[in-house]
Order: sequence, then structure tokens, then C-alpha cells
Amino acid sequence: MTISLAVPDILVARAQSGDLEALEALYRAFETPVYNLALRVLRRPEDAEDVLQETFLEVVRSIKQYRGEGHLWGWIRQIATSKALMRIRHDRVRETEEFHEESAVGAGPGAGAGDMAGVGAMGGAGGMSPGAVPAQIDLERALERLSETARAVVWLHDVEGYTHEEIAEQMGKTVSFSKSQLARAHVRLRRMLDEGVAR
Amino acid sequence: MMHCTMDDVLALAAGEGSAWARQHVAGCAACRAELEALYQRVARLKALPARRPARDRWPAVRDAVLAERRRRRERWGVSGLAAAAALAGLLVFRPFWTKPVDAAELARVKQQSATLEQQLGRYDPDGRVTSGRSAALAAALEDRIAVIDGELAQLGPVPAQAHSADLVNLWQQRVDLMEQLVSVRVTRAAYVGL
Repeated sequence: MTISLAVPDILVARAQSGDLEALEALYRAFETPVYNLALRVLRRPEDAEDVLQETFLEVVRSIKQYRGEGHLWGWIRQIATSKALMRIRHDRVRETEEFHEESAVGAGPGAGAGDMAGVGAMGGAGGMSPGAVPAQIDLERALERLSETARAVVWLHDVEGYTHEEIAEQMGKTVSFSKSQLARAHVRLRRMLDEGVAR
Repeated sequence: MMHCTMDDVLALAAGEGSAWARQHVAGCAACRAELEALYQRVARLKALPARRPARDRWPAVRDAVLAERRRRRERWGVSGLAAAAALAGLLVFRPFWTKPVDAAELARVKQQSATLEQQLGRYDPDGRVTSGRSAALAAALEDRIAVIDGELAQLGPVPAQAHSADLVNLWQQRVDLMEQLVSVRVTRAAYVGL
């Protein structure tokens, strides 16, 4: 996903003065990256659209506070991330996927990222029932099967480039929590991809 | 043989691997493969196709913004009325100042201010597209008017005598700014002396 996120300073200045045309231009420029961030974290398109709307309402209200320090996308992304994580915290998203995730990969105690089972164990047969039809699952679907928190950590760290310190701060958790979530998520992603877990 | 955990592999990928992990991965093909798989997974995550929202949410954002602006203007009008009421009370209850307010002059500028408010009320800036410069000028004028309204409100119904001489002056300043705001809003004058 490569999108040009550069916007002219004059456009930002006009937006800061309240010009609706300029604000819409900013919306058009950042609509896709904001939506994608929210979609990858929250999974459901409706939730991602809501976050998109909430994010830009906040952008419009606060754009005067943007001082031009750092890229505008970084500032908008911070707002979008905060809105998406707030949705997770407030439990607005359906919490069914954790069950699917666990039952699909059969992640037992041995799959914990912190254990010393090593990579040999990671590539094991997992919890696939003998009758399950193996199927290829692409990365996108594997990502969707992670818990919201794990998915958020993976996306923010691996794709958006957040540090564990930044993720911990955004989530109100510890750095260890962020690291642990990322490791567990990668163990699961690896398993799902290697084994081609059926749906 | 003990292999790297995913924590170790992630730390290695981040350039923060322990001495043991670095040494181990150099001699262990399985762990090197694990590290390479991690790099590839992250690269694939970054390369996932961009999705677009099914619905355009800008109209909803715009409508909410316009509604907020309308509410703000209404509050602004109410605060202006409150300031006018405060001044009216001041005239009724404190007629014996050492330096009395020129009631006729005050009434005149207040009337001017009210007329300009009505003019602005008939004009709907949200329905029009303005240039960035005009919008910035209008915002600056509104801010300055808000400051004057604040000063008028702070005088209260029974102001100190020292304030009496400022009243007409404050209202006159308000009228001047309102005239400029009408000019920007309605005629979009390029220069209003800011």
C-alpha cells in the first residue's frame, strides 16, 4: 500500500482557517490511509468507517493545534489510532474472533511466545482436527483471525512503524505487554500461514 | 538443542537480539529461516492492498462541522446580547457616575452593532466557498470580536467608575470589527486592515 501523503502547506493553512474546501481536500488525501489503519485494526468495515468519520471530525476541530512539527500524516494517524483503540477498549467491536482464533489454530500453552519451545515447536501440527480440510489462508485472513489487540499491535508496529513504547502509551499498557502481544501474534500468524488453516 | 523463541526472533529483527540469540542464529538454519520468514511476513503485511470505504463519510463530517459552527455563532450572539443587557443595566442603575456614559452615543453604537449582527445573520458563510485568505480574515475578526465581548461581559452590571469611559469605546471597536467582518463575509474585500 503506497500512497502519497504529502500535502502543500498552503492547503494546511487554509484548512486551519476553517476553509471547508481545504478541509475536504485533506479528507480526500488521508481518507484511504485512515480507513485502512482502522480496518486492519478493527476488521469490520462499518467500524472502520465510523473511525474515519470520528477521526476527521477531530481533525477539523483540532487542526489549528497542528504546528507543522512532523508530517501531517503522523498527526492524523495519531488521532486515528487513538480512535480505533478506543473502540477496542470500549468493547464496541464484536468479541467473537478470539474464540474462532483459538479454536482454529488450537493454540495451547505451548504456543505462547514467551515459552522456550523454540521454532521447531512453532512449526508443529497445532490443533488441527484430523477431519479438517486443509486450506490455504492468505495473510489478510490470518490477520483477521487475530484478536483485536494482537492485530492492532501487529499493524501499528510492523506496518505503521510505531515503537513498543508508543503502542504501550496509546493502549495504556506496558512495553512488555506490547512485545508479548506481537510475539504471540507472529507465532499464530506463522502457524496459520504454514498450516493453511481451514477457515 | 534450544532454539530461538519468537521473542528472540523479533528482537533480532529489531537489531536488539541478545548475544546468545545472535550467536545461535548464526549457526542454526531453522532459526535463520524463522527470521527470514518474519521479514517476509512483515513485508507482505506492508504490501497488503489498500481498501477504500464503501461510503463517502465526508458529507457527514461536513454536516457535523457546519452544525457546530452554527451553534457557536448562536452562542456568540447570546453572549453579545448578554453584554448588551449588562450595559443596559449599567445605564439604569448607575446614572450618577463622576464621568457618566454618553447614553445617546452608547445607544447609537449598540444599534449599529445590532444592525450588523442582523446583516451577518442573513448571510450564510457555510453555504459558500471562501478563499483561504477570506476565511482566515473572518476567523481573526471573530476572535477579536469575541475578546471585546469578553471584556464587556467582565464589566458586569455594576462596573467600576474607571470602566465607564471605556464603554462607548469598546462598543465602537466592536462595531468597527463587525463592519469589517460583514465586508469580508459579504463583499469578500481583499484587505480590511489586519
